[in-house]
Amino acid sequence: MLRFKSILSRIVVLHVVAVVITSVFMSLALSWLLNYATNNIHNEAMQEQAVSVGEHLTAQSDGHLELDLPQDLLGLYSQAYGRYSYAVIDDHGRVLFSSLRDSAALFPADARSSDVEFLQQRLGDATVSGASVRKTVGGQSVWIQAGEDLANRDVLIDDIVADFYRDVGWITLPILLVLLIADIAIFRRALRPLREASEIASDIGPTRTDVRLPTDEIPREVRPLVSAINLALDRLEQGFRIQRDFTADAAHELRTPLSILRTRLDLLEDKKMRQALQRDVEGMAHIISQLLDIAELDAFVVDPLEKADLRSVTAEVAEFVAPLALAQGKDVALLGTAEPVWVKGNPEMLGRAIRNLSENAINHTAPGTTVEFIVDQNGTVSVLDQGPGVAEEERNLIFQRFWRRDRRKAGSTGLGLSIVQRIAELHSAVVTVENRNPSGARFSLKFQPLTL
Amino acid sequence: MRLLIVEDNVELAELLAKGLQSAGYETDVLSTVEEATSVLLTTFYAALILDLGLPDGDGLALLRELRHRNNPIPVLVLTARGGLHDRVHGLRSGADDYLVKPFALEELIARLEAQLRRPGHMLGSTLRIANLEFDTRNRQASIDDKPQLLSARETEVLELLMRSKGRVVSKKQAEDHIFGHSGEVASNAIEVYVHRLRKQLSERGAKVQVHTIRGVGYLIAEEN
Repeated sequence: MLRFKSILSRIVVLHVVAVVITSVFMSLALSWLLNYATNNIHNEAMQEQAVSVGEHLTAQSDGHLELDLPQDLLGLYSQAYGRYSYAVIDDHGRVLFSSLRDSAALFPADARSSDVEFLQQRLGDATVSGASVRKTVGGQSVWIQAGEDLANRDVLIDDIVADFYRDVGWITLPILLVLLIADIAIFRRALRPLREASEIASDIGPTRTDVRLPTDEIPREVRPLVSAINLALDRLEQGFRIQRDFTADAAHELRTPLSILRTRLDLLEDKKMRQALQRDVEGMAHIISQLLDIAELDAFVVDPLEKADLRSVTAEVAEFVAPLALAQGKDVALLGTAEPVWVKGNPEMLGRAIRNLSENAINHTAPGTTVEFIVDQNGTVSVLDQGPGVAEEERNLIFQRFWRRDRRKAGSTGLGLSIVQRIAELHSAVVTVENRNPSGARFSLKFQPLTL
Repeated sequence: MRLLIVEDNVELAELLAKGLQSAGYETDVLSTVEEATSVLLTTFYAALILDLGLPDGDGLALLRELRHRNNPIPVLVLTARGGLHDRVHGLRSGADDYLVKPFALEELIARLEAQLRRPGHMLGSTLRIANLEFDTRNRQASIDDKPQLLSARETEVLELLMRSKGRVVSKKQAEDHIFGHSGEVASNAIEVYVHRLRKQLSERGAKVQVHTIRGVGYLIAEEN
């Protein structure tokens, strides 16, 4: 069973089949009709001839019949002309008159036949077709037969029949093909609103959930589908909104009580206790912040049209973390290109990835050393520390959620690098880690450069 | 000096009020955009501490309304969302500064004072780090209460750094501040002034350090 993927190809193929079948049947039907019509003309002519021969048949006083054809009719039936012939047969099947050389009947006599009959008969090497008309002359019934040798049939009619296929029969094919082309054009035009709707639909994505398909131009037959799609999009949009709202609500619900706790601690009289608790709250706030980041990332979709200047994003991160580094007796430096480096992606998320890499680096670099940011024109940002580096066998583990080399070490959640990894995935970026000589690690994020 | 706190969480609002009172401020607390809008029409406050998530609307809407009425009140925005996007959005709407919850009370007070210690705002106009002071009214630096003579450029750089205490001043920011947006600036001009300022401060016994964050900017901090 042939299956069609496209309505248009189905219509074209079925239409072509229909055209072929129709043109064959139409030709056959037309040629049959033409034959039928020429036969009728022929039969009528033969009947008329038989009647006109019969008009010249007279009964003599002795009862036998006499045929006295005028000159023009004699010429018509002359042997020399050889095209038409006649015969008169009596009730007993005897041939009374005949234009044939051997005075034979044209058609076998049949006493029971009706008043007018059309017959065809092979005579020698000729085929004679004609009419047999009963007539009562002088009280006796005779059959007057008039026939035409088909080999010498009327040239004009023969030409029409012979030319029919060449001149008329083939016209049906181009007419049907023109009809097919017109149908295709009509159909394509009818489908245009659907194509336009498809183009609009191709814009719909997690970042553009507000787009709806237009229903005004859509053919009524397809409109229920388009309306159903729009309703489905409404439900999807609501789903996305609920997910995004949840992250925002969760952030608010978690951070507000933390703020209360933090402010209450800040008002404590006991300085030693206050400082210890402040550190605890800061650690907890950090974990919650990272968990919220992860929750947000799980629902986050990068707008393919978004772009970010990697250089300025990195500079902002360096500004942000520099005071933290200095507070720990460590330094920060931004190196590499000073020109903007445009890459595909969301600046906020790029910044978070780089910030997590740099916080990681500041935590691990030795006191008195510098964490370096290097931005490359090819869309890569590297963060270099002078810490212990990352052992070969740990290079995949460190990006897993909650993985920590030393679980006893405070201030590390094991979430930072998994956030980096997730942001890299969202941006089709590659994150790599290698060790530096003599010591330290170099984390690199290679983003997709924006091709202008 | 009276501050207005607009925060819908009563507990947090009261704690902030308490903290600010112990730092010498008087405070009023409101919890809705509507209340705040009407009160701000009739009452003068030195600064507004504004939470963004309010029950009857977005704090940013209130902020835009204030700026639309040309109310220059310094506004410090508090938010539960720490995204860069939110920050930029907040500052564009007319916030003067921005703190992400949870924040240290100390930090809130420091940010407030940075806003209030501007010419035209009446809080004692002195910025202070360790034994270094800067009076923003007469633009006078002093170390251990002894007035110091600095060049005009050095003074400008010092004021900028001290206003941004605890934060990095980017090189671009410094250039814009010192030279304005017009004219060509030699690429190392700021570097030269910072270098001179650092030398002056250390020679005169200031217990502060002017850090150069290579490729990023400058930051002034207490000496470790």
